[in-house]
Amino acid sequence: MIQSLRRDFSIYRAIAAMAAKTRLAYNMWVWADFVVTIVSMIVFVYFWRAVYAGTSTLSGLALSQTITYILLARLLSPLVETRTIFFFGFMIRQGQIAVEFTRPLDMQARIMTESFAELLVFLIQRLPLFLIAWLFFGLQLPSSPALWGAFFISLVLGQIVLFLFDWMFACLAFYVTETWGLSVVRVAAGSFFSGAIVPLVMMPDWLQNLAMSLPFAQAMAVPVSFLSGISTVADAPHIWLTQLIWLLVLLVLSRIVFGIAVRKVTVQGG
Amino acid sequence: MTRYLELYWHFLIQRFKILMEYRLNFFIGSTSTAILQAASLAAIWVVMRQIPSLNGWSFYEVILVYGLLTMGESITHMFADNLWTVGWNYVRSGDFDRFLVRPIDPLFHLLADRFCHDGIGNLITGAVLVGVSMQQLGIAFSLLHIVYIIISVLSGGVIFIALNLITATSVFWIMESIPVTQMVFTMNEFAKYPLSIYHSSIRVLLTWIIPYGFVSFYPASYLLGRDVGALVWLSPFVALVFIIIAYRIWLFGLRHYSSTGS
Amino acid sequence: MTIIQVDRLSKIFKVQRKEPGLAGAVKALFLPKYEDKVAVNGISFSIDTGEVVGYIGVNGAGKSTTIKMLTGILVPSSGSVRVLGRDPHRERVANAREIGVVFGQRTQLWWDLAFIESLSLVAKIYQVPQARYKQLLDQFAETLELKELLNVPIRNMSLGQKMRAELAATLIHEPRVVYLDEPTIGLDLIVKEHIREFIKEQNRTRSTTVVLTTHDLGDIEELCKRVIIIDTGKLIYDGPIETIKERFGKYREITFETLSTPGHVDLPSGAEIILAEPRKISVRFDRTAVTASGVAAALMNQLEVKDFSLSEPDLASIIRQIYNGALNEERAA
Repeated sequence: MIQSLRRDFSIYRAIAAMAAKTRLAYNMWVWADFVVTIVSMIVFVYFWRAVYAGTSTLSGLALSQTITYILLARLLSPLVETRTIFFFGFMIRQGQIAVEFTRPLDMQARIMTESFAELLVFLIQRLPLFLIAWLFFGLQLPSSPALWGAFFISLVLGQIVLFLFDWMFACLAFYVTETWGLSVVRVAAGSFFSGAIVPLVMMPDWLQNLAMSLPFAQAMAVPVSFLSGISTVADAPHIWLTQLIWLLVLLVLSRIVFGIAVRKVTVQGG
Repeated sequence: MTRYLELYWHFLIQRFKILMEYRLNFFIGSTSTAILQAASLAAIWVVMRQIPSLNGWSFYEVILVYGLLTMGESITHMFADNLWTVGWNYVRSGDFDRFLVRPIDPLFHLLADRFCHDGIGNLITGAVLVGVSMQQLGIAFSLLHIVYIIISVLSGGVIFIALNLITATSVFWIMESIPVTQMVFTMNEFAKYPLSIYHSSIRVLLTWIIPYGFVSFYPASYLLGRDVGALVWLSPFVALVFIIIAYRIWLFGLRHYSSTGS
Repeated sequence: MTIIQVDRLSKIFKVQRKEPGLAGAVKALFLPKYEDKVAVNGISFSIDTGEVVGYIGVNGAGKSTTIKMLTGILVPSSGSVRVLGRDPHRERVANAREIGVVFGQRTQLWWDLAFIESLSLVAKIYQVPQARYKQLLDQFAETLELKELLNVPIRNMSLGQKMRAELAATLIHEPRVVYLDEPTIGLDLIVKEHIREFIKEQNRTRSTTVVLTTHDLGDIEELCKRVIIIDTGKLIYDGPIETIKERFGKYREITFETLSTPGHVDLPSGAEIILAEPRKISVRFDRTAVTASGVAAALMNQLEVKDFSLSEPDLASIIRQIYNGALNEERAA
């Protein structure tokens, strides 16, 4: 039992390494991402400075908090993107569903490992940007290790939640071939309701409630709230528990939905 | 010239035949961009309802700028979408060579090959935003204003296409047009808001070097009666200059492709 | 009348030399090293109107580079190309109007469009007059059996159907020169026959000049009277197929199936072993030096032969020989 677990782990590690190397190979893309992120950070900072021109707080947030929040959301933006839907669409078009199921590892776990490995590399790629944001754009990060710990745990939980949600969402690719349009909708909803464009606390109550009932907030706004001073260490257990419940519910749901979608395709011949 | 217009019409008809085959996709594609816009607009609304103005620009004035930019962007989205896909979909696969053995301009062929219906959502959204903001601000829908808006939007569209074309030419060197194009295209984010909120260096960049300012800020300034001097009349000329430069650069890229292959 | 004229045509590419490993990748980024790769090396030939010429060589020999220069896609490094009296690159549009190109695996038609719609768009691009288009469409529908395919989109067609559609689209503007790159690849025998018949007929009735690059030597044998062989960028043979068969057709092969494993075997001169397996041995012999029965007798005296077969020289083995330097041996002899 231990042996097989260890073997599985080393396989997953190898998959993660390969996904990471693939990411690093595209250096033009790295530059493009660099420029795009810096431009959007500049836009945001100027925008929010203009917004705060006549007042010192908005919805209880000071300019420095808002800027930290928005910059973090921007820097962490890959965390609310998803390629699962394109992956499903590709798989279906190529008729590869059967192949995927003959592989020994659990498909969902495997894809998640690849996704997270890529994300990790992507974020490491962005470390220079974090530095620039901190030096020039007014990013203020807390020094309390407890807050950082709370952030990381919340981040991991939230990311798994979002991955599972996307797993379900991507099943639409089994029914509709216009994956691009679907992904646009997903990105729009994702960036808005994760608080990446506007801090959730600034939204009117009904909108905030809507946001909190969607998984995007769990993946971004909730973890980031620890670093921007919105949530405290005392809030951590409650927050983690909520995320854990999200996770368990979505784990079950996503596997059920996926099973239904796959059955539909393989029965009809895909 | 008329031959190319006629030919484009035929390309367009065939493209719609393909799109109509997948009606659901057509619908999703067209509305998806509108939904994306809705997210950004919702954000602006959420923010601005808390403050009296953004650097002296009221909510509807900001919307006017945003709407003009969206309309300009929709034009490149609809007519020049292939500038994004030219790398992975044409050059890498060798399908681009087909354009070189047909008796029509390869750039024309590339652009005509894909009218992107997604952009329609943007065009309509932008037009609605412009219309609503003009109405709320009491700007007259006079003939002069309508003509001015049409010319500004068309010039804005050409500016977008020109900038995309310049950057897409990178495909002949790196087999992919998206990274470089993305870098310049993303600057249009600045032009979604009044340029006056930015540092002067950014304003200069967006006026004279990557002239997205002429898509939204200067035309909006004219309509709002804000004085920015003669710049409000320059959009068509900037568009013309940039598209000529862009086509030259494209031809240079083609020459490189012909001597190095893929 | 000469329709294609190629003079000392050369194409040299600059290729970046990348060293393996992480260090190599970093070096490649900051200090790229380039070296010259000669794809085409001083090729000369001329093709007359109405000829069907096979242009063959192993992968990487320079075939597609030559074709790209002939069609105007690539600019030569040196030398000249003239097609229909023009430089195909400088006068790209005028040249494009009169040529047709089939790129084996890639279709020029639109994937999702019904075939007839694709075809009409192609016709409009080439400005084929409406009446003429109708005429040709009827003809092709007949000879290529396209009637049931007219409303089928390309993505739903089988390989054979795709190629038939492709040919119709390529010839709808009545080009004077047609470049066919692997036109029968992946097709089954009956469809191949059909396609070859069609090409032959077009060549016969319209004097369409055909340049055929292919690995399928069946195509070559059926269609081409003349063959140009290119190897590592150089032209190594240009002449009739008959001559190749004559010159290299002197070799025959006998394959013997034996009851025991042959040890050392004595062969008459002019014969050599080309394959030795536990219970199988193949002998190649020069029939001007020794007869088939001579070889068979010699072997049967030394081994217990269960069965044997005699093979004619086929174009494939002949071409293989040429690649393996038989031409040079010949010249030396």
